[in-house]
Amino acid sequence: MIRRLSTSPSARVSKRTSQSPLPIRIWQAKWLYLALLIPVAILLIFEWLPAFSALYNSLYIWNGGKVHFYVGLEHYERMLSDRTFRVAITNLIGFVFFRVVMQTVLPFFAAEMIVNLRSARWSYWWKIIFVFPMVVPQILNYLIWRFIYNPQVGLLNEGLKLIGLEQYAYAWLADPHTVMWALAFVRFPWLPTLQFLIILGGLQTIPQEVHESAAIDGAGFWRRLFYIDIPMTRRQITLAMILTMLFMTQRFDLFLVMTDGGPGYSSMVPALQLYQSAFHFLEFGYASAIGVVLFVAMLALTIINLRVSAGANRE
Amino acid sequence: MSLRSSRRIRLGNRDLPFQLVLIAFGIVTFFPLVLVVITSLKSNTQFYHNFWLPELPFRFGNYSSAFRIIWRFIVNSVIYSGATICLIAAIASVTGYVFARFRFPFKTVLFLGFITLIMVPGVLTLAPRFVLVRDLGLVNTPGALISVWVSGGLVLSTWLMRSYFESLPQELFDAAYVDGAAERQVFVYVSLPLARPMIATVAMTTLISTWNDLIWPLVTITNKDLMPLAQGLMQFSSDFETDWGTLFAGYVISSIPLLCVFAVAMRQFISGLTSGSIKA
Repeated sequence: MIRRLSTSPSARVSKRTSQSPLPIRIWQAKWLYLALLIPVAILLIFEWLPAFSALYNSLYIWNGGKVHFYVGLEHYERMLSDRTFRVAITNLIGFVFFRVVMQTVLPFFAAEMIVNLRSARWSYWWKIIFVFPMVVPQILNYLIWRFIYNPQVGLLNEGLKLIGLEQYAYAWLADPHTVMWALAFVRFPWLPTLQFLIILGGLQTIPQEVHESAAIDGAGFWRRLFYIDIPMTRRQITLAMILTMLFMTQRFDLFLVMTDGGPGYSSMVPALQLYQSAFHFLEFGYASAIGVVLFVAMLALTIINLRVSAGANRE
Repeated sequence: MSLRSSRRIRLGNRDLPFQLVLIAFGIVTFFPLVLVVITSLKSNTQFYHNFWLPELPFRFGNYSSAFRIIWRFIVNSVIYSGATICLIAAIASVTGYVFARFRFPFKTVLFLGFITLIMVPGVLTLAPRFVLVRDLGLVNTPGALISVWVSGGLVLSTWLMRSYFESLPQELFDAAYVDGAAERQVFVYVSLPLARPMIATVAMTTLISTWNDLIWPLVTITNKDLMPLAQGLMQFSSDFETDWGTLFAGYVISSIPLLCVFAVAMRQFISGLTSGSIKA
């Protein structure tokens, strides 16, 4: 993503460039600096300052107020032996893996079906239909799925009753063994809007001629899927996967609303543990350390993902 | 024989198999939503008695009692998100223009100062940012939400605006300069009108992310009268936990604002994101 940016057409330069000495050039650009003053100030205060504060305070015991003393890497050592954190990391890895697969395969197939339609009017309406769930406020996804999993009057258990499988009705969110699976399927048939539209955009840009010549060569649906459509949308698929990964690693409102990490801490994820450490236990230092670990992990995963896809593109 | 008939079907209506899959998928997608609407028109007795089907009489009273609570959250959210969108659109278009059209000392450093923030996740800054906002005395004020939402949205928006201004042809600007336009006039009368689709995209992404943000209000707002919609709904759902009709009526009402926005802007939104320009 970032690399593309630097190779985009270099900035066109206005007539005002000059070779004068630096102080003069700075003086000439005074209005530009003035224009940048507000955004730079905002980002320094509300982005850079907290980011460095997190790095710095991950080395301190800090209650967010007066209690503040240096403990070095103790928080990071604690993480290694923290059972909750270990469960949280394991949960997160499984969850992210599952969601990345689900939220790439599902939108890809829906988009593939839509692109395959001859009728332009229908394909337009299907796009709208599948984007529609995004008008529902995000939190309602979770609240509605909490209703679906409700043990007494939930949609899932009522449905099982309806088709005569009453013995499988279950308190899905209350059992440590089923809770992560239940959470993984939250929002299940609804497509992730952004990922869906990105992949759809990729499929739409494949020129018609490519498909026509493939059809003449006798390629059926599956062959075309694996030899044309997937390879030609590799960029969009990669982007969709990275986005899902980054969203899922740092968003914890799903867990907060549905289970609050429970039962016990069996549905804990690191971001939720960070939240609880800071705002329930006032351990801002430990919370910052968890944040730093998540940040490094996300950075590493993004770089690896971009490298792999760049390598595959070069082949 | 069988080969021939199958071919005839394919030639006759090639769309049919895809349509069938899509229809099945569409039904699964909308089923929970339809059930929510059905349940929102029932009393609790009706709901427990008949889970699946609508039942007369419809209890429209559920909607008025839900609206009495939800409306304030919606108004709050409209104000907060509206203010955030205006600020971001104004700041990001100026900043993007400066970065796209001028060369000046330290430009690269400053731009990197913007762009590297894309890699800094909100979860890293959550706790220290709360302390900062608390120490600034913003807790339980709209400023706590708007300031942080503006700074969070500014990074991507500036990048989008810069890319857009860079893509405008130089001849356009030359023509304006030749006609004697000052830089300020070029910006206001040439660049901004052309950038309208990109400003709309920025507004839309900002709207969705602020409208749905739950965590930040949860840590900075405790006053019920100031809660935005997402947080208000969480409160509402625990207050009306067992009153299913009212609860789901509230859910339906709270989906209407974005529904209206999308009824107007859906086409641009979809074509903007599927234009194929988005690549990794």
